[in-house]
Amino acid sequence: MIVIKNLKFNYKLQAQYSAPIEHHNFSVMFLPASNNRQEITSLNIDIKGCDKYNLTTDNFGNGKCYGKIAEPHDFFDICICGTAKTGIDIYEEYTSDPMQYSLLKCHTKLTYPYEKLTEYHKSLELDKLSGPYDKALHIMHTIYYTFKYLPGATSIHETAEEALALGEGVCQDYAHIMVSLLRMEGIAARYVVGMIPGDGASHAWAEALCNGYWYGFDPTNNKLVNDEYIRVSCGRDSSDCAVIRGTFRGIVAQKQSEAVTVEEII
Amino acid sequence: MDGLIRNSETINKLLSRYGVKFGIYKNGVFKEQLFPFDPVPRIIKYDEFLYLEKGLTQRVNALNMFLSDVYGSKQIIKDGVIPEEFVYSASGFLPPCDGVMPSKNIYSHISGIDLVQSKDDNWYILEDNLRVPSGASYSMIARELQRRSTPETFRQNSVIDNRNYADLLKEVMDNVNTGGINVILSPGRYNAAYFEHSYLAEKTGAVLTTGNDIVCENDNLYYIDYNGKKQRIGAVYRRISDEYLDPMTFNEESVIGIPHIFEAYKKGNVALINAPGNGVADDKGIYYFVPKMIKYYLGEDSILKNAPTYLPYYEDDMKYVLDKFDSLVIKDVAEAGGYGVVFGSSLTKEKKADFIELLKKEPRRFIAQEVIDFYDLDILGDDGSLVPRKAGLRAFVLTGRSTKVWPSGLTRFSRNPDSFIVNSSQGGGFKDIWVLSR
Repeated sequence: MIVIKNLKFNYKLQAQYSAPIEHHNFSVMFLPASNNRQEITSLNIDIKGCDKYNLTTDNFGNGKCYGKIAEPHDFFDICICGTAKTGIDIYEEYTSDPMQYSLLKCHTKLTYPYEKLTEYHKSLELDKLSGPYDKALHIMHTIYYTFKYLPGATSIHETAEEALALGEGVCQDYAHIMVSLLRMEGIAARYVVGMIPGDGASHAWAEALCNGYWYGFDPTNNKLVNDEYIRVSCGRDSSDCAVIRGTFRGIVAQKQSEAVTVEEII
Repeated sequence: MDGLIRNSETINKLLSRYGVKFGIYKNGVFKEQLFPFDPVPRIIKYDEFLYLEKGLTQRVNALNMFLSDVYGSKQIIKDGVIPEEFVYSASGFLPPCDGVMPSKNIYSHISGIDLVQSKDDNWYILEDNLRVPSGASYSMIARELQRRSTPETFRQNSVIDNRNYADLLKEVMDNVNTGGINVILSPGRYNAAYFEHSYLAEKTGAVLTTGNDIVCENDNLYYIDYNGKKQRIGAVYRRISDEYLDPMTFNEESVIGIPHIFEAYKKGNVALINAPGNGVADDKGIYYFVPKMIKYYLGEDSILKNAPTYLPYYEDDMKYVLDKFDSLVIKDVAEAGGYGVVFGSSLTKEKKADFIELLKKEPRRFIAQEVIDFYDLDILGDDGSLVPRKAGLRAFVLTGRSTKVWPSGLTRFSRNPDSFIVNSSQGGGFKDIWVLSR
């Protein structure tokens, strides 16, 4: 894939508090970075009421911006927008030292397989296929056709096992199930958060390490990750990719909403 | 000696007045219980101490090298000495620490190594505590009070002075300090070891504080004193666990941590004592590999032995464990403080069957050990006579410019004559340790 698309993206996160809060420490992890498949050509961060923040990168290479708003406020608005060239290559990353990713072969609480996943894994008969790429492809197809997309069926806390037992869920569940199955095959797998056109919300998919190359698979749409995808962050599971963290003083109720747009610049 | 026994009640009263207590949460209720002091000391002869000192120094040096390796280039895994899943699925392996090098490359500054002596006089390592080992202050204050009650005893018996712990600890903090004051970060008054936090702060001159008095600004850490004055912090001897240290990186629900402290640490602007992520090295599963680590990093045979341990993860070991189940003690690698310990012989038939099923399902979760017949130590019974009890020894090993073993430690014993579990949280008592200078 050498098709190059120029995309414009806009990520908006808004939190509303029922009363003013103060000493608000926050950390936001939604900063897309350049890799083999995408080049972030511009990036702008705007946090209302906060003109000073710091930037850092975590062990998975995810960018984070963080800071503190000391004064009382009853909302938190962050807008991250920019432009990207995508589809430069078909893999995210190459490594000559796959062992450095062994951590991603181990299950976490959210991906740990119990009865349902073990059964499901057996039914896939992956031992008939050779090579991690073919296996990943087969896993993606099967999940797409057996799992049902239903917003609201799961909350953000379901494990892969629980979601599979339910039989329905959203992109997070699709991705967790795929990551879990890949790891059961001994394939290093990442949970990925990103953006695609038309969704209105952030998206999640899985990446598998195949012969040194990281490829993206989107089981929710049964698609290989292509030039419509903007990759933002990755980790062992969704908990490593939580977009926002915060602590503050104040006993309040809070409402959060996010809005994502991705458009092609023609 | 007689004087010590005579004054034992007074000393216990004073200990209680000074607040030498152990707080525990039982069914959600906080309760403080006394940590009873027994006046009959454990005696360690000089030669024996030299042997322990050599073995402990070797062990702690290897453990520090392991931590540096496992969060760095991971050579020991690449060379196949430790299976990767033992490292990465250990709950103590913290991915955010991957690639972060602490000040002076020291991870475990204060190590609490638990040993037991068997009836045949051999010492065995029971476990390593490299996260937030506690207990040194109990022996310190007990000695202080005994000195007051019978000052001549210690000189007459050639007991090595152990009042240097505070100096050792201060040296450890100063050694890694990145510029600024030393603080001891406590979760607060309701922590099990609050007495220890305040006592060590007083003795080392470090500032005792909770997260409320510390702010992180532009990746630097500051202590705000009662006047509102800001002072830069260079080293934090933190007495809160990794998980609660920074809600922005670890458990978001933590209210005792300091937001963004991990970023300051990552950038080398503050030292954390001990380093976060050490749990991967004192994991009960990794314990099995410590002698291999010593060989791998230092090219030496380990001086101090592990208790004979089996990993059901390996087929041969599983077979042995199932065969000898009744004579072994099985430990859940994720638990600590004497919890999750099962003696094979103590289970009923049904429970045993259930347990074996669990063991087969999650072999990585357990280790099995031979039950060591502890060497009993005498304690003073209620009627004034001496009675034998099981006892363990926690040695404190401090790594500053070099690694040193404190010529003292904490001896805990079980008050229940049939129990092998000596953890303070399970209601044991403690003794002084006399390391003799001859």
